Amino acid sequence: MIESIEIDKCTGCGICDVVCPADVIHMEPAPATNTVAGLNPTFRLPVIKYREHCITCFSCEIFCPEQIVDVHPSVKNRPRPW
Amino acid sequence: MPKFEGSFTETDVLVVGGGSGGLLAALSAKRHGTPGTRVTLVDSWTIGRTGHTAFSNAWMIVAFPDDDIDGILREIVAGNDGIADQVLVREVLEGSYARLKDFEAMGMNFHRAADGTYVRRPTRGLDIARVMYPDGGGLEFCWLLRRALEPIGVELIDRLFVTGLLRSGDTIVGAVGIDTRTGQFHAIKARTTIVCTNAITFRSGFVRDITGTGTLLAYRAGATLRNAEFSYVRPGTPKFYFEGITFAIQEGARWVNAGGTPFMKDYEPDWADEADVPRIARAMALEKKNGHDPMYLDMSGIPEHMRDTFIGSKVKWMDYFFRKLGSEAKTDMFGKTPYYALNQMTKMGVRTGPDCRSDVPGLLAAGLAQAGCANHFAGFHIGLCVGNGWIAGRSAIEDLDRLPAPAIDADEIQMLHAETLKPLKPTAEAQSDRILRDLQQIMFAYDVGILKRADRLEQARAQINSLSREFEDIAAPHVHELVRLKETEAMLLAARMILGASLMRTESRLSHFREDYELRDDQNWLAWVDIAERNGEFTFDRTPVPTPHCSVEPLSRPTRLKKQHAVGGVE
Repeated sequence: MIESIEIDKCTGCGICDVVCPADVIHMEPAPATNTVAGLNPTFRLPVIKYREHCITCFSCEIFCPEQIVDVHPSVKNRPRPW
Repeated sequence: MPKFEGSFTETDVLVVGGGSGGLLAALSAKRHGTPGTRVTLVDSWTIGRTGHTAFSNAWMIVAFPDDDIDGILREIVAGNDGIADQVLVREVLEGSYARLKDFEAMGMNFHRAADGTYVRRPTRGLDIARVMYPDGGGLEFCWLLRRALEPIGVELIDRLFVTGLLRSGDTIVGAVGIDTRTGQFHAIKARTTIVCTNAITFRSGFVRDITGTGTLLAYRAGATLRNAEFSYVRPGTPKFYFEGITFAIQEGARWVNAGGTPFMKDYEPDWADEADVPRIARAMALEKKNGHDPMYLDMSGIPEHMRDTFIGSKVKWMDYFFRKLGSEAKTDMFGKTPYYALNQMTKMGVRTGPDCRSDVPGLLAAGLAQAGCANHFAGFHIGLCVGNGWIAGRSAIEDLDRLPAPAIDADEIQMLHAETLKPLKPTAEAQSDRILRDLQQIMFAYDVGILKRADRLEQARAQINSLSREFEDIAAPHVHELVRLKETEAMLLAARMILGASLMRTESRLSHFREDYELRDDQNWLAWVDIAERNGEFTFDRTPVPTPHCSVEPLSRPTRLKKQHAVGGVE
């Protein structure tokens, strides 16, 4: 399950959002506290919006050009037959 | 353009679903169509980065021109306990080498030995068929296919969740859906539509973004479904996701019970641990019933020097998985980690002919949304999707000249718009997860999903019916939940079909194991259970499975396993 994105190192490229097959990460307008100097006010940053629906596929971590996404290798929320 | 709220696209061939079936259907339609033929491929998420294939190893059975195709067909049919469309499977095998060459032309590399020859491995449950695998696994496979579709002019629409098929009289003339992020309504007018949305799942396997709702849309549009009573139940552990069980067994791993006793030979004297997944799942469930759980995959027989090859993978996401588990990965994999028989997905798909046409004009099916086979082999589910996708694309092009020009009704689309977005209420509470958990609990209980019996199936059916009633007035606070709600609604409908078909099939075959009808009964049940809608309710009919090419008798002990050291398998 996705743990975190080091948002202060994020360039806002949006790849993590594009590659997520479970709609977990959304690019959203960045709050003022997260803006990076020199970028315009419409800058968007990723938000882990539906963490509980993460399927632990690592896509966001694999394709993040800055390598700032951390996914924990847990599949413990799977249903069991017994 | 008709007048309604939302955006509009017009195309010749609409492909719904961007896994291997859909990608191949789009490629095939473009190749078979005349210049200028419009092909549109849509998926709920990003095409090339979603779908079951993207997260698999993308192993596929490929028959080379001098291979024994009839022999491979014979063992696939036997491996399906006869429930396979022999004409379709044969054509898929015949075309598989040409597809391999297509993939290589797109830049895919299939594993080769040092001398340059292809590495072809045997797969579980089959003897002579050989599996090939592309570098980079499914993620690379699907991405390169997407990249190959762009320059030939296939229109790709990402993030469009199809919520309904459009009808004009009895003919399907496109689809409607919503943008999975913005909720914007979109209608697509198409001369033919190919549904490639996988078989329905209950978000149970690893690839929990796959829900297979397209088959239910096809059903609502008049198509017949089949293979609902069969499922893909595979051994797995909640500790990690291990795609290499087939290879581990070939290298000496064994299934053992709580007492450390290997048990597969008791259930499958010929195949033992090399039996395919439904048979292992059944054995595990019976061991559980007899109080012999937990069960383990004993990998102690795998030589030390080979162990690192199981930790890590050429498939990126799996490699990340193991790498991040660190030393725990090896301890868990080679230690005592309990395994379960986990339900991955159903095998319910659209009934089509070997040409992938459904009973409804203008509607075709491919990938696992097409009910070509009732069993799931490592290597043949993607092999089948590649093959039936290709066939469906070709048939869709042939249909362009046969079908009347589509007409769509703006009022109908406007009605679908209202119906699709009706549950959106910002103040509502998201409830689909809770309903899904209840649904999983009912359907995955091993004495309902694997070891079936009439009374328990009836009880489960009553529970599902009550859950379905609860669903009727449910609302969604946002688009994310609206999509999940619609998927869950389809799952509830599918669950009722699965239980009904399971009650009807009064014998045991493949993953369908009836404790009250333990034996396979070819005299009565070499047949499909077909599900169609009549007067708003579903009806179950029996259709005999034709056997034009080969016998459906089980095969005797495979030659490969008679060898003293039946490991490795690299030729």
